Amino acid sequence: MRKTYALFSFVLILALLAACQPAATPPLAATKAPSAPEATKAVEPTVETPASKTTLVVWDQFYRGVESEVIDQLNQEFEEAHPGVTVERVSKVQEDLATTVKLALSQADGPDVAQVNQGRSDMGALVQADLLLSLNDYASKYGWGKRFSSSVSSRNSFTADGKFFGEGNLYGVSPTAEVVGVYYNKGIFKENGWEIPATFADFEQLLANIKAKGITPIVFGDLDGWPGIHEFSSVQHVLVDSEYINDFTYAVNNVSFDTEANREAAGIMQEWVEQGYFTDGFMGIGYDDSAQLFKAGDGALMITGSWLSGELTTDTDLEFGFFLMPQQTADKPQLAIGGVGIPYSIRKTTQNPDLAAEYLDWMVSERAAQLWAEASFVPAMPLPATFSVKEGSLFADTVKAWDKINKDNGVGHYIDWATPTFYDTINAELQKLFGLEIDPAAFAKNVEKDYGAFLASQK
Amino acid sequence: MLGLSGEKGFSFLKAKGRRLVGRNQWPGDSRFKGWFYLFPGLAIYLIFVLYPIFETIRTSFYQWDGFSANRVFIGIENYRNLLADGQFFKAISHNLIFLVFYSLIPILIGITLASLIGRKPLPGMAFFRTGLFLPQVLSMVVVGVMWRWIYNPAFGPLNLFLRSVGLDLLARSWLGDFKLALPAVGIVGSWVQYGFCMVLFIAGMQKIPQMLYEAAELDGAGSFQQMLHITLPGLHAEFSVAFITTVVAALRVFDLVFVTTRGGPGDETLVAAFLIYRSAFQQNQIGYAAAVATVLTVIIFLISFFILELQAKEES
Repeated sequence: MRKTYALFSFVLILALLAACQPAATPPLAATKAPSAPEATKAVEPTVETPASKTTLVVWDQFYRGVESEVIDQLNQEFEEAHPGVTVERVSKVQEDLATTVKLALSQADGPDVAQVNQGRSDMGALVQADLLLSLNDYASKYGWGKRFSSSVSSRNSFTADGKFFGEGNLYGVSPTAEVVGVYYNKGIFKENGWEIPATFADFEQLLANIKAKGITPIVFGDLDGWPGIHEFSSVQHVLVDSEYINDFTYAVNNVSFDTEANREAAGIMQEWVEQGYFTDGFMGIGYDDSAQLFKAGDGALMITGSWLSGELTTDTDLEFGFFLMPQQTADKPQLAIGGVGIPYSIRKTTQNPDLAAEYLDWMVSERAAQLWAEASFVPAMPLPATFSVKEGSLFADTVKAWDKINKDNGVGHYIDWATPTFYDTINAELQKLFGLEIDPAAFAKNVEKDYGAFLASQK
Repeated sequence: MLGLSGEKGFSFLKAKGRRLVGRNQWPGDSRFKGWFYLFPGLAIYLIFVLYPIFETIRTSFYQWDGFSANRVFIGIENYRNLLADGQFFKAISHNLIFLVFYSLIPILIGITLASLIGRKPLPGMAFFRTGLFLPQVLSMVVVGVMWRWIYNPAFGPLNLFLRSVGLDLLARSWLGDFKLALPAVGIVGSWVQYGFCMVLFIAGMQKIPQMLYEAAELDGAGSFQQMLHITLPGLHAEFSVAFITTVVAALRVFDLVFVTTRGGPGDETLVAAFLIYRSAFQQNQIGYAAAVATVLTVIIFLISFFILELQAKEES
């Protein structure tokens, strides 16, 4: 009797151990399965691509309604043009994508194409781990150099060791462009006879005028932390030159954060807080809520990016316009926070690098530009000649702004890319600054501690 | 059998003076059989609890970004950095402050409510009991989103209410205020936790013999004295369960902070679990995150242990 127990439990242990092993893998393998039922499409005779059945797994973060439709449309057209190819799309919220995509790209059955955020803690870390495919050859094959300026391409570039940002190999292409500026409520402006300011001094005068009328000058909410970066850095971009902001972001030429200009920008922020130029209680309001307040007409201006223009043109009777933060003098070349959206990258170990590159080219094609523009998003690539932008629309304003900073070679940066920890550091320090907990000097010093430590570690 | 049955063992492993393990074995019976009964549970425990804990501790001695093949052994470097990290201590201190909001306040509210509605059946009691327990059932993310709205300075009901009754001076940007953000998040914790304590205490009260109260009444004890001398001592075991669960909840809080403030403003609501998330997933420092997690686990373990010991000692 005793022996039967022993034998039985021994067998059970073995069975359980054996069962544990494969259990970990199937969920990942399963993602590749749905390629089979596409057989019907393979009949169509198109030459270029392999006629065999292939599945391209793509992870993106275009989860919002309008964006998602653009991507679905492009994917469908891609499949039609490439018989036998199925695009398997996995769409996630940006934060979800960022936390899961790194591990996924290290797997042999990970996504072939994925959106990887620029900056050191995402794209930089992945290049360092040797997980992304260099796109240099494909860039010359498809002529991406003609579609994107070098300033745009450097944002998606790292040296092969992942150490230096803004130079070396190209690791991604971005379909959309972004520029941070000032939205204004056209109705409120018209009622009070206000005009778009030409200089920064005019802008500050305008803020005072709006305040005097009892209207909230700038709609702002800093509960989420990151909107504060745009508020501060918009003014910072007025006070520094493009050389500084490039050096700072790419961590070259030994620049510092603790500079006269940065302290001055920080001082202006605190002045605006003290004057009551921001929404009452802005420290406790989230970004989405602040956007809703602005959309509802509760305030004259809002400093944020061109990504909001789609939202501001749907489901509202109010009319909004967009202008770039005015420079100190009207004739000074424009510099403003801007850049390109999150780029598509290719997993280094993909079985189908050529097809993946073709997909990337598809996402930055003229057709893609047209679809994005129709959805009121500024595309990163030139608009097709046939596309006409409706004069006087909000979209026309953002397109004009993007063209202007490109012409002036003044596409600035999101400074939070500067170091792997910079996003968290500057968010926290800016909240202290906006909360009047620290003065501009302490702010600049605290942030420089993070930046200086990173520069030292780079050597 | 497991070496814990000795006379000097920890008090809480001995139930009412009787040993939990060992002794009741027939002479000559195999000890192997015991393991067989233990196996299914033990296997699951090994795979899903002990192995991950072991891996976390191991990872804390490495420098690793979490996805590359490049994993470097750096000894206790992560722990040394942790001791030099002011943010870590700030986070732990916030967790300790949360003990008041997650543990003390809910237990006080819970016992008060239980004594009001727990003893005698009142009309509509099921309704109140359900209503008061509701916060406990909601998902923490839902709770966070809801309270973010309540606290919203522009259109949240809290400030609207304060203004409507003329208390404009008290209206604040709650979650964005450097002094109020931590208590504001803490109060949400109290709101979630008290229902659990209340139900626990009500259940405990129902097993206290009614005759004790009757006898006390005959002796002239008022309801407060009854509470003090019968109810509270009778709820001894429930108190320690309530303490352990709420204390552990306070020490490992993450979801509420993640949804409401993300550790802000500045780092006024930063807690240990959020620091772990941030280091691991935003800054690619898995090793450091593992070190923080290990220290947090040790702290939670020690505190739970202390509470269990205390209870066992008092009982014996």
